[in-house]
Amino acid sequence: MTEKKEIYLGYATDKAVTPWYEEWLSNLEQEKIMKSVCPSCKAEYLPPRQHCQKCLSVTEFAEFTETEAKLFSYVIVDFAPESLSSKAPYVVAIGEFPSGLRLTAHITNLTSMPEVGMSLKLGFDRVDDKKITYRWLV
Amino acid sequence: MGQVLYTEETKLGRKVAVVAGGHSKFGKRYDATMRELCAEAYKPIYDEGITQDKIDASVLSYAASQFTGQGAGSALIADYIGIQDKPHMRVESACTTGTASLRAAWGMVSAGLYDVMLVLGVEQMNRVSSATATEYMSQAGDMRWEYPFGISFPAFYALMASRYMAEYNLPHEVLSMISVKSHHYGAQNPKAHLGREVSLEEAHNSVPICRPLNLYDCSLITDGAAAVVIAAEERVKEFTDRPMWIRGIGAGASEMMIQDRSSLTSIPGAKRASKAAFEMAGLKPDDINMAEVHDCFSIAEMVAYEDIGFAEPGKGRELVENKEIYHDGRIPVNCDGGLKSKGHPLGATGVSMTYEILKQMRNESENPSRQIKDVQYGLAHNVGQSGQFTNVFIFERGFS
Repeated sequence: MTEKKEIYLGYATDKAVTPWYEEWLSNLEQEKIMKSVCPSCKAEYLPPRQHCQKCLSVTEFAEFTETEAKLFSYVIVDFAPESLSSKAPYVVAIGEFPSGLRLTAHITNLTSMPEVGMSLKLGFDRVDDKKITYRWLV
Repeated sequence: MGQVLYTEETKLGRKVAVVAGGHSKFGKRYDATMRELCAEAYKPIYDEGITQDKIDASVLSYAASQFTGQGAGSALIADYIGIQDKPHMRVESACTTGTASLRAAWGMVSAGLYDVMLVLGVEQMNRVSSATATEYMSQAGDMRWEYPFGISFPAFYALMASRYMAEYNLPHEVLSMISVKSHHYGAQNPKAHLGREVSLEEAHNSVPICRPLNLYDCSLITDGAAAVVIAAEERVKEFTDRPMWIRGIGAGASEMMIQDRSSLTSIPGAKRASKAAFEMAGLKPDDINMAEVHDCFSIAEMVAYEDIGFAEPGKGRELVENKEIYHDGRIPVNCDGGLKSKGHPLGATGVSMTYEILKQMRNESENPSRQIKDVQYGLAHNVGQSGQFTNVFIFERGFS
């Protein structure tokens, strides 16, 4: 059965946590987004994967430094899953960076309706005293 | 490749036909659990003479056990309907579970493992709140990178809708026209969950769920079951003189995370599945007389027209605006109400599509105003989650 407690925005529940994911989170808490790079075939992943999708090698973290993106698509979630229902309505956006890599996160500072193609900037937001998540800003 | 069994050259398999079907009432079925729903779906088949002793084995299409808490579902159902001594198994692939189950059974019959198989699809979804149901379905997203941002099942399709509407300058009213059509036919289908007409104004202005999608863009959280029996070619005549042959099967898949897709205006796995099904069948989209497509959301039906090949990319709206998808149009689509009005009990949906095509081919729709004339070829397009799973079946009428 699903636990009814609310989740932290952007944080996987315990069932998806591993030491590798915790390392990713420790970087996030320093306001660093890490991608993963395959040492064998040089493939890059954002969000990262512990194993390369192409050759299954164990990847390495590398800091992702792009911050400017374009809005690839969005949704305004009015009726939310139970775990995030207190936060609705919220805007989930897929941003596409110039490199072609994409990231999914909330847009948190909209003052008008989002538009596909608009500029986004990657930023960070404090979830509580200890946790930081990533977000899009317009 | 898995697509070669049917050919004369390989002689690896046998032709397989759907020989009977049954269907429960779809809706909020507080009077039944999954076992009673399955009995309701199998009973018409039993009444046609395909009694338990005629069935060699069964596949249970049951997508989401978290709604019921019932594990070992296929054992429960086999026992309840009196085939507890016949081999059974459960198949799961989200909302394509129904056609995945049919595909699994087809493979076993075609290969000669069994001659006659029952495929039962069921879901019982209304014993939890809508928020909890939305929570369960959001867990079909990536639990590490998507779920933590609250991307619900409608949200995945809203991401597709936003992109499609921007790329093709599509007004929301056209999506609402699809919903109006679905409800028009659902109102004529006594098995439908929400069988009532809606106006374009009502559909367009209803409450937002995941903008740009609103309530009438979304399918229903439904309890229900559907069943079909398939048989090997040498056994078909024992059961019916009106068989429906499985002529083509295609299956496809797409990236797990929706952000990783090169396009959000199409479901790549559905395009691949359609292409494979048409190749196996030796047919093309123009040959199809009716289609049951996976309209879990209005945008999904629009994208389906284009992925199957009924319309060019970005041109699906012409089918809608010209009413070519109505029962007397060029390519009738979802004239049973679709997932939108008939309902979407996840595991039952693909089986229900198959049942509906059989019914239309046999000219047995309850209401002449939704009966499609002279169906020779019918197509079922079934999509799981936001396109990670896709199955396309092409059926052929086996009688004159």
